[in-house]
Amino acid sequence: MNNVSMKGKSLEEAIRSAAEVFGVGEDKISYRVIHEGKAGVLGVFGGEEAEIEAWIKKSKANYANDVMQEILNKMGLLAIADIARDDEEGIEINIKGEDLGQIIGKDGLTLMAMQTVMSSILRREYGEKANISIDAGGYKEKQKMALERLAQSAADDVISSGQEKVLPPMTAGERRIVHIYLKNNGKLKTESQGEGRDRRLIISLK
Amino acid sequence: MKDLIEYIVKALVDKPEEVNIQETGSESVTVIEVKVADEDAGKVIGREGRIVNALRTIAKAAGAKDRKRITVEIITKEENRNE
Repeated sequence: MNNVSMKGKSLEEAIRSAAEVFGVGEDKISYRVIHEGKAGVLGVFGGEEAEIEAWIKKSKANYANDVMQEILNKMGLLAIADIARDDEEGIEINIKGEDLGQIIGKDGLTLMAMQTVMSSILRREYGEKANISIDAGGYKEKQKMALERLAQSAADDVISSGQEKVLPPMTAGERRIVHIYLKNNGKLKTESQGEGRDRRLIISLK
Repeated sequence: MKDLIEYIVKALVDKPEEVNIQETGSESVTVIEVKVADEDAGKVIGREGRIVNALRTIAKAAGAKDRKRITVEIITKEENRNE
């Protein structure tokens, strides 16, 4: 069943009716308010009914994927959004197709913008923080491998020279990848220094 | 372009029925004006402008082939009345 439009004396009542129509609990209902409604005099006279458009909540991953696909379509791109992972750690959507450069952007900037917007959309829809990652053509995976290579060669330098090494400025996500990669190296420690876009990781001996 | 931004903005706000998008501009610049309910302004602007900046980045990506500059501006109803 698709969307239904529901009226009630109050928002709560309209939501309750929608849940009954769909035969699910109220927590499984998503809705948009069409009219807020107004309580009348003595709660009876001159009031306006509340009206909502309601539908059954989709799983977060399915909803995210649908929204992502719609965005790709509206961008006029021949690309397919796919759920690559959906578990307690979060949702990962991978985009496949032509012209992926347009979705990735310079230094992955457009991908990051998609992720920012998507996580906000999910937070509004589900009322809780959503951990979502959006990749296109394995770009992020390749990025991760490149960062790990950089981390390894910096780590080798620190161990052989005994001197600390300052890595180039990185985003929080990039620093996290390097940090996790070096975490299990018993000889080294990593810390972040600097503010904002200038924040860098420093690798040194323990 | 208008369609794309409208779709995203409506998904971001609590009151999609109050979203109004206008596309204006000249031969070299496209301006997407986004009007939302006052209480939804924060949702489309975001902390330190993160969301509106993300919208600008996505608009630029979508319009990359047009070779036009694209900007996205958020106009709240309050500002609108003061104009």
